[in-house]
Amino acid sequence: MSNQSPILAPLQTLRESNRTKLVLFTLDNLIWPILLVAFVFFSALLPEIFTQYRNIRFLLYTSAGLGAITLAESICLISGNFDLSVGSVAGFSAMAGALFLTEWAPGAPGVSGILVVLCVGGAIGLLNGVLIAKMGVNPFLQTLSTLIIFEGGILVLSSQSVYGLPESYLWPGEAVISIPVINPIPVAIFIMCGLFVGLWFVLSRTRFGRAVYAVGGNEASAAEAGIATDRVIITVYVISGVLAATGGLLLTGFNGGATPTTGTSQLFPAFTAAVIGGISLFGGRGNVVNTLGGVLLLGTISAGLVMLNIDPTVIQTVNGIVLLAAILLYTVVHQYRERLLSDL
Amino acid sequence: MTVTETNPRIEVAGVQKRFGTVEALSDVSLTLNEGEVLGLVGDNGAGKSTLIKTLVGIHQPDAGEIRFDGEPVTIDGPKHARSMGVGTVYQDLALVDALSVAENLFLGRKPVRKLGGVVPVIDEETMTERAERILRDRLDIKLDPDTPVEYLSGGERQAIAIGRALVTDPDIVLLDEPTSALSKAAVERVEQLVEQLKESGHSVIIIDHNLEEVRSMTDRITVLFQGRTVDTLETEAVSRDDIVSMMVSGKPLADPATAGTGQSSTAQHSPSD
Ligand SMILES: Nc1ncnc2c1ncn2[C@@H]1O[C@H](COP(=O)(O)OP(=O)(O)OP(=O)(O)O)[C@@H](O)[C@H]1O
Ligand SMILES: [Mg+2]
Repeated sequence: MSNQSPILAPLQTLRESNRTKLVLFTLDNLIWPILLVAFVFFSALLPEIFTQYRNIRFLLYTSAGLGAITLAESICLISGNFDLSVGSVAGFSAMAGALFLTEWAPGAPGVSGILVVLCVGGAIGLLNGVLIAKMGVNPFLQTLSTLIIFEGGILVLSSQSVYGLPESYLWPGEAVISIPVINPIPVAIFIMCGLFVGLWFVLSRTRFGRAVYAVGGNEASAAEAGIATDRVIITVYVISGVLAATGGLLLTGFNGGATPTTGTSQLFPAFTAAVIGGISLFGGRGNVVNTLGGVLLLGTISAGLVMLNIDPTVIQTVNGIVLLAAILLYTVVHQYRERLLSDL
Repeated sequence: MTVTETNPRIEVAGVQKRFGTVEALSDVSLTLNEGEVLGLVGDNGAGKSTLIKTLVGIHQPDAGEIRFDGEPVTIDGPKHARSMGVGTVYQDLALVDALSVAENLFLGRKPVRKLGGVVPVIDEETMTERAERILRDRLDIKLDPDTPVEYLSGGERQAIAIGRALVTDPDIVLLDEPTSALSKAAVERVEQLVEQLKESGHSVIIIDHNLEEVRSMTDRITVLFQGRTVDTLETEAVSRDDIVSMMVSGKPLADPATAGTGQSSTAQHSPSD
């Protein structure tokens, strides 16, 4: 490089580094082209039906609850931690809110039930966070315990589904509003999009958000640089708990009532969506907006399979295969990335 | 001949630190005077890095005292140390690979602005601008502030770590092996930097295994051996062999004529607790 013309050399480097940057950008956002391919694939097999506005709207609507729970998982993964309890937190807090409104404080306004849901989620998150950050409990074991405790806790609260909930409690997950041009559309879709944009904003634009990436990238370095890593981790778990609870609330509205199985089944899909959305299991990398792509990919595949009249029991197997494919893909991409970087 | 009046900025007196059964520091005492460059040498595992980490509050001493400007202090952590005017380059550099050069330079202290007058968001523009200035003026290297540090060479990474230590305009600078990954030319730049820092009144502690570098940069040298201070001597008064012999034997030099020149070195040895 030293014997190139002094004027051309920087230009040359600039052009090359721009191309490299473009390739890296594509690799970092790979989920969207994959989603597009999946969508086109099912549209070809199900002409007319799959591309209908109604279908797309339904696809987004069914993704709302999972979307919130995926965000709950993603923020923990980005901080270099782990949360196995997101599903049971969603189910437990939604059930607690439902019982609060029907049994513990019947007649209380639905909004207070929503508050209960979010507080229960936040409290469980706080418990996870404090024990992990302050006591040094391994995140995997800690959240495995909370997974088991609160999955059981749901049944302790109620082994039956709770219906007859106030409209205002169900509103976030159930209501449909009329908007010109795209009307009518479920509010849950807006809530989900709001959560994705909101968390993306917090993680990419605020000091706290960048500290989450720093702690996830290298906790010791973050601490040496003066970041209060304990506080960051505790806050991450509280946010995760609140997001999981929001997911539980959305699912309750979607189902028209709180069921004991709401939420608990969402752990693996949430995890899968986060990973295929490019969130690194090692922490410090990934963009939460891409996990929306992961959520939508899972939604697209299961909607497609259902509409093709394929046995619904196959869906989990297919999701597993999708996860495996994603892991393989990201492993290859990672190696390619390393090579690309070492050429710089 | 240079030291006429000494004004201690940091005093470490009888500091101990153990990790489980490992006694990393058993009895460390030293003084960093205003405007001086103090070298800290010792074999691998002598406790040099542990001492630096204790000075910035990553570790709390089990016994002994740390004084800043004569006042005994408890340092909560790196942020506290920074607020007291201490900048640190850690041996492990403390960089986050996945983050950009600019983000690493401002790790833990990003400039913010108020979005719409209320929401505090990171002021990317100011951050990039200041990062560019540090890279150009302080470190003299050509790097895009947006490059993730994982793309950088070992020397560039070390430069970023040095840059970060200087971002806050500290008046005390702690350098834990800042030159270990550097080429000869880059080492010279660090030597110049240390010189500049000294000239502008900074106090510097530098750890370095290259004794020639230590001898060319420092005013005094403190030797550590298995977690305790062996002696502190005027750089001009000791030979390379003297330092090596103290590092290896853990004993002060026998010759009193040489050993005596270390100014307050003997005074530091008297246990103050
Ligand atoms: N966090 C820790 N936990 C347990 N032991 C530690 C810890 N930090 C340091 N030690 C031990 O303390 C001793 C001193 O280590 P330290 O890193 O201070 O040495 P050093 O003088 O910086 O060595 P080097 O020249 O190799 O960098 C070593 O025996 C090390 O294993
Ligand atoms: Mg060391």
